Amino acid sequence: MMNKYHHLNLKTLLLGVLGLLALNSAFSQMDHPAHMSKMSMGKPPACEGSGLDCANAATPFLRADGKLLLAWTSGGKVSVAQSVDMGKTFSLPTVVAEHGKSLDAGGDARPQIVSDAKGNVFLAYAFFKDSRWNAQINTARSTDSGTTFSVPESLVVNGSSERFPSVLMRPDGNIFIAWIDKRLVAASNKSGQKKLGGSIAYSNSLDSGRTFQTERIANEDSCECCRIGVSLNQKNQPVIIYRAIFPGGVRDHASQIISSNGPDKIRRIANDGWKTDACPHHGPAIAVSSQGTIHTAWFTQGANRAGVFYANSHNEGASYSEPMRLGKVDASTSRPYLLALGKNVWLVWKEFDGHDTVVVMKQSGDDGKTWSKEAILSKTADYSDHPLLISQGNQVFLSWLTRADGYQLTKIGQIE
Amino acid sequence: MKKILTVFATLLCISTYVNADEISLKPYQKGDWSSILNLANGKPMAVHFWGVTCAPCVKEMPQWSKFLLSDKDAKVVFIQVDDVSPEMIRKMLRQSNLGNANNYYITSSFDERLRYEIDPKWRGETPITIFIDKAGKKEITVGSVNFQSVKSWFKKNS
Repeated sequence: MMNKYHHLNLKTLLLGVLGLLALNSAFSQMDHPAHMSKMSMGKPPACEGSGLDCANAATPFLRADGKLLLAWTSGGKVSVAQSVDMGKTFSLPTVVAEHGKSLDAGGDARPQIVSDAKGNVFLAYAFFKDSRWNAQINTARSTDSGTTFSVPESLVVNGSSERFPSVLMRPDGNIFIAWIDKRLVAASNKSGQKKLGGSIAYSNSLDSGRTFQTERIANEDSCECCRIGVSLNQKNQPVIIYRAIFPGGVRDHASQIISSNGPDKIRRIANDGWKTDACPHHGPAIAVSSQGTIHTAWFTQGANRAGVFYANSHNEGASYSEPMRLGKVDASTSRPYLLALGKNVWLVWKEFDGHDTVVVMKQSGDDGKTWSKEAILSKTADYSDHPLLISQGNQVFLSWLTRADGYQLTKIGQIE
Repeated sequence: MKKILTVFATLLCISTYVNADEISLKPYQKGDWSSILNLANGKPMAVHFWGVTCAPCVKEMPQWSKFLLSDKDAKVVFIQVDDVSPEMIRKMLRQSNLGNANNYYITSSFDERLRYEIDPKWRGETPITIFIDKAGKKEITVGSVNFQSVKSWFKKNS
């Protein structure tokens, strides 16, 4: 009897506790919508769907056959759609991954997508895998031009934290991927030595992204919150640019060639002198011309210069030209991007005047020796993604996603 | 049996504790900067922008809590900028012992349009702290702060 009595009591108690816990959880789940309705009174609701219209970042890949693949992140999902009319219309999107609020949708994060002529598509993105905000890079593959994708899987097995993948496809279809990796920082902190930032890691895939070679570290000390810029040089070697951490905690930019033997020397692009432990969320851009000139652009708030700048190198990064400021001294410039086609170089960036955001372009026909005057390519008064440049054959396009006008692929140049 | 009851009692306590510990988190979006400035009410104020996914920010938050305990008159407003759920922000605030601080989170895009009215030169670096004196003059610290200097600034400007 006693046992039964206890048993009943226990059951009641258990139900009570579970009830309270359920109530608690119901409250916490209700909390978000309650807040949402309160704050949206009189104000437009936030864009929260998973369509392109709500995307924070969209990355294009233009195939030689004229098909445009677009990967974007919105509403916690990573989606891909195809266009056969250069972005005017898209196929129904395929949702490749869903991570909700754990998806990395920060200001410098964007999904990566590349494709070969055989219809193999490779996609990479990052999400936060645990409550301590350690990130993981997932990759997914398609063998039908992006209509269906494999289940996303981790690029690095048992990694500590990986973020900001940057992907390149070489002409032979092999894939290069670079990312910010925190294994060394985590190991260092475990051993009691306080280390800040992250490291630049990279790997290659020789089978369309099915498997990757063991990753290598190009630079042990980099900023942990800025994407990496990648480009192929005339020898088809990846050349990377990133915000490194130089002695004394100075977060200035470096370029590095990744040869088949491994990472080449770390080349400092400019002595901006930005000593900081902040997260700038603002990665650099790179393009290498057919002459092998490395063109770079970046944002800094250094003691020696502040703003967005451009510089180039004719000797594989051994020395760089004096940085050239983009925009006026007080202009709110950001997000530079570069593209080189032969000796022609296109440089775009964003400028905000307090009301409108514009995409500004400068162009060089002589490998960066002289530059055209600034030209405004596009304008919006609402949210906008970073401006990106892509090419097909001899034509150059601006890829820009804005909340007001959607995704736009605009031809901005052509070489003879 | 006693053990099981203790476990349930503890669970009950935790359950009540979570409810009582509800952290107030107010929305912030483009256009709200002037209402934040009004919070100063003639006193010096610091507005600290941070993000849960920003490692240097997270590292510094418990030190802000210690600072507020040591300087109870200091007026500090915290605004979280990352696109994460309020639950995730509350969790981090609780861990940093800043649940009772004056907390906001950004509900619109953390972009140039939102930042421009705060400071046209701010391109999104975090953490960033904006010190506003009684006359409305701004001083900006990008990256982690020196809390001794923060203490002196409040003392000098009070």
